[in-house]
Amino acid sequence: MSNAQSEGEASAARPLSPHLQVYRPQITSVLSITHRLTGILLSIGIAGLVAWLAAAAAGPESFAVAREIAGSWPGLLILFIWSLCLVYHLLNGIRHLVWDTGRGLALKPVRVSGWAVVGGTVILTTLAWVLGAAVAG
Amino acid sequence: MAKFRLPRNSRVRVGKAHPVPQGVSRRTRFKIYRHDPDSGDGPRLDTYEVDRDTCGEMVLDALITIKNEMDSTLVFRRSCREGVCGSCAMNIDGVNTLACTKPLDDISGDVRVYPLPHMRVIRDLVTDVSHVYGQLASVKPWLRSQSAAPEAKERLQSPDEREKLDGLYECILCFCCQTACPSYWWNGETFPGPAVLLQAYRWVADSRDEAGDERIAELDGADELFRCRTIVNCTNACPKGLNPARAIAEAKKRAAQSLRRPMD
Repeated sequence: MSNAQSEGEASAARPLSPHLQVYRPQITSVLSITHRLTGILLSIGIAGLVAWLAAAAAGPESFAVAREIAGSWPGLLILFIWSLCLVYHLLNGIRHLVWDTGRGLALKPVRVSGWAVVGGTVILTTLAWVLGAAVAG
Repeated sequence: MAKFRLPRNSRVRVGKAHPVPQGVSRRTRFKIYRHDPDSGDGPRLDTYEVDRDTCGEMVLDALITIKNEMDSTLVFRRSCREGVCGSCAMNIDGVNTLACTKPLDDISGDVRVYPLPHMRVIRDLVTDVSHVYGQLASVKPWLRSQSAAPEAKERLQSPDEREKLDGLYECILCFCCQTACPSYWWNGETFPGPAVLLQAYRWVADSRDEAGDERIAELDGADELFRCRTIVNCTNACPKGLNPARAIAEAKKRAAQSLRRPMD
């Protein structure tokens, strides 16, 4: 048996050390996976947006049904989550754009901008719904 | 596709609880990852209680106390005990760091000690880092230049040029950042990882090195530089306070600038 071969076999038999199971969640990793998650949810939400547009194009009866669904409690809840995802993904996306210029990557600005994104998401989403409710009456 | 669960042979069982020292005023409980390749059993988590009044201040002091006084079978790497050699890198209290510079007082509750994450375990806290060393060698971490060396003196740098290496040259290759990176966990076969990319950029940033464009071209790809998703776990882990995330961002910028060349 060649040396390389025996080393390969030994390495396959060796256990893999724990990773996700033991690594403490960090503001860095948690916001990163949230960015991915919100991106996926936004993509799924686009199907809803298309359905809404298709209903509008199909005529007043189907649009009335779409409005009913969107205005129901489950519909509003989904729209709220979707808007939360949109604002988070937008703000964190800007954070990533700044990072890509090489700026804001020291630990302190990373933490400050991270919490700013979280706070900004809550504030802007709330603002959007309050304004929306005010306009809708 | 990333595998989030540990393979069957890698799941950690509850291990032995070692005797609690009696008549001591201050005790700290340690939960330490153990793996004996000769036992045929998988990894386990052993419990030890250490008398803090007779033990030093750092996690490494406690590991040495355990090995000397309680269980000589515990295996870990250590050498300088002052944060210079990088041998005692491990996962302590959920974050990768050096055992020798991690104060016990910084940890509340039980001290959980695991090997560097998502690595093949040789024994206990000792992992196989040969793949990482291979990746490091692949970026040719040495000065490369075509021009003839100046006669009878070294290649000179201005203070400004030298300053560009600050935060890069101090890396001790402990691989805390490398094994804190989820991108490296899921794609470590091909992704060079933060430690290796920081080393590569250390030479790109060196005014005396003449292979910068070549270095960037070799790392410019979806599996190399751009497998970094700017998670920044690397910078969060570095026990030397370096910033691999920024080094990678600078290398990405160089790669993006090379896109301005006309297409082949």
